[in-house]
Amino acid sequence: MASRTVCQILQRRLASNAAAARLSSADLRSHRSAQFSEEQTRQRSLYPRTEKIEVTLRGPGLQGALLVMNRGQSTPHSCTRHLTEWHVKSSVLALVDGEPWHMHRPLTRSCDLTLLTFKDEDPQIANQAYWRSCASLLGHVLDGAFKDEFSIELLTLPEVPVTAGAFCCDLVLDSRLDSWTPSEENLRSLTRETLQLVSKDLPWEPLDVSPSVALEIFSHSRCKQEEVEERAAQSQNGTVSLYRCGDHVTLSGGPLVSRTGLCSQYEVTSVHTLGECVWGVQRRAQGLSLPVNLTANPKVWRKLRNRAERLVEIPSSSTVTPPLIAETPPLVAEAPPPTVEAPPLIAEAPPLSAEAPPLSAEAPPISAKAPPLTAEAPPPPQ
Amino acid sequence: MRLTLRALISHGRVARRMGLGPESRINILRNILTGLVRHERLETTRARADEVRFYAEKMIDYAKKGETNEKSMKMADFWLTEKDLIPKLFKVLAVRFENQTGGYTRMARIPNRENLDRAAMAVLEYKGNPFPPLFPVRRVRELSLVNQLLKGYREEKAQMVAEKKD
Repeated sequence: MASRTVCQILQRRLASNAAAARLSSADLRSHRSAQFSEEQTRQRSLYPRTEKIEVTLRGPGLQGALLVMNRGQSTPHSCTRHLTEWHVKSSVLALVDGEPWHMHRPLTRSCDLTLLTFKDEDPQIANQAYWRSCASLLGHVLDGAFKDEFSIELLTLPEVPVTAGAFCCDLVLDSRLDSWTPSEENLRSLTRETLQLVSKDLPWEPLDVSPSVALEIFSHSRCKQEEVEERAAQSQNGTVSLYRCGDHVTLSGGPLVSRTGLCSQYEVTSVHTLGECVWGVQRRAQGLSLPVNLTANPKVWRKLRNRAERLVEIPSSSTVTPPLIAETPPLVAEAPPPTVEAPPLIAEAPPLSAEAPPLSAEAPPISAKAPPLTAEAPPPPQ
Repeated sequence: MRLTLRALISHGRVARRMGLGPESRINILRNILTGLVRHERLETTRARADEVRFYAEKMIDYAKKGETNEKSMKMADFWLTEKDLIPKLFKVLAVRFENQTGGYTRMARIPNRENLDRAAMAVLEYKGNPFPPLFPVRRVRELSLVNQLLKGYREEKAQMVAEKKD
């Protein structure tokens, strides 16, 4: 019995040390953002000499206007600033020689440029980019919504077609929050946070980096690293594209829209629990949003919103997981146990809980209501 | 030829009186109709446009009977003062309105003339002309984000109704 308690104390200590070693989410974000800025300045310094390129604008009313821009420095956004304010504000995405190109990504060669808006004849590329960026905005908000002591892992953003009715963001919360179900109030506070970001009108900054740099940026998150490797394997030139909004750095499968101010109506509608995955209990946050000048009236919005609450099924997600399970059993074994074994410890040895702030913390993730930690605690593993 | 109160109590004399007399009226209308067939869109005073409209529609109805029809050839010969337009009437306009019965013309009111007389003006045109449209066309963007969301909503609704029936 004595040796057992000693073991438990030891394990407990180690666990708390591990928790202390883990950076808080704010530190993590600033770390990633700093690394991102470093890489960005490095890439900018690759073009020390100002060289000129010729950009031909395509589109209604532009009639092949020719702009002379700087190579590696001018972006489609700076091209729009030579046109009208309308072009600056309503351009969502650019097509460079027919290939989608983020508005803030520097142009590297003479090219044909088409500006896309939400009100084009065929805005499907812009719509898909908008859906993707709304999902990444949701990830941004969820990342900062919880207290520092709760870890949160954002999984790969699933590609959802617009007709599915809601954009999704998969995440895995700290194992102490397994029994947490979000209330109306929680969702509303998430929505409020997002709308604050939208009103700040932050730009999404793109950066194409080699996998090694991306692995360094996400060095604190194993699951992000795997995502980096996967995306690098899929992409043609072996790079991954990172996007930064504010101080939140995300990976993305395709280009995002130019800035957060393009959202007008935005609502986080639901958070569903999907079940166990490799990293813990997988949850899916869903939301609905409409861009500026395309807002729906309240009646239509209510209908769409009610639909967005239902779970969006993504058929292709199951095909990705099996190799992950095969590769990473030791990780799974290491990461969750300390926290899973914690509740019986508290029951047996009450004085210990005084030393161990992260375990005894019953602080709620968002609202003032305490999650039923001890009541619904998982059964002891042995 | 509009049915107004004035026309109702005019005991059959429903045509407007314009020009210097009945013959002058016919000549005015004939010239305008010739212009309409040549240019397919024109601007006149509102009363004249309204009056010509009846004859312009009748002209197409006759033209659709074909070049061989004696009556229609006679009418075209009378109403078109410039004879080079007769082939256009039979070969272009009649063919254009082949599948249509009535409503070949469109009239739009425009602001009063900036002249001393401030006459009420109108634009008269044959439909299907090559000019830009008189009224702005309402574009329905089927692929816009809201419409795509609503499309998904409708599809899901229909699916749910079908499942309920089974």
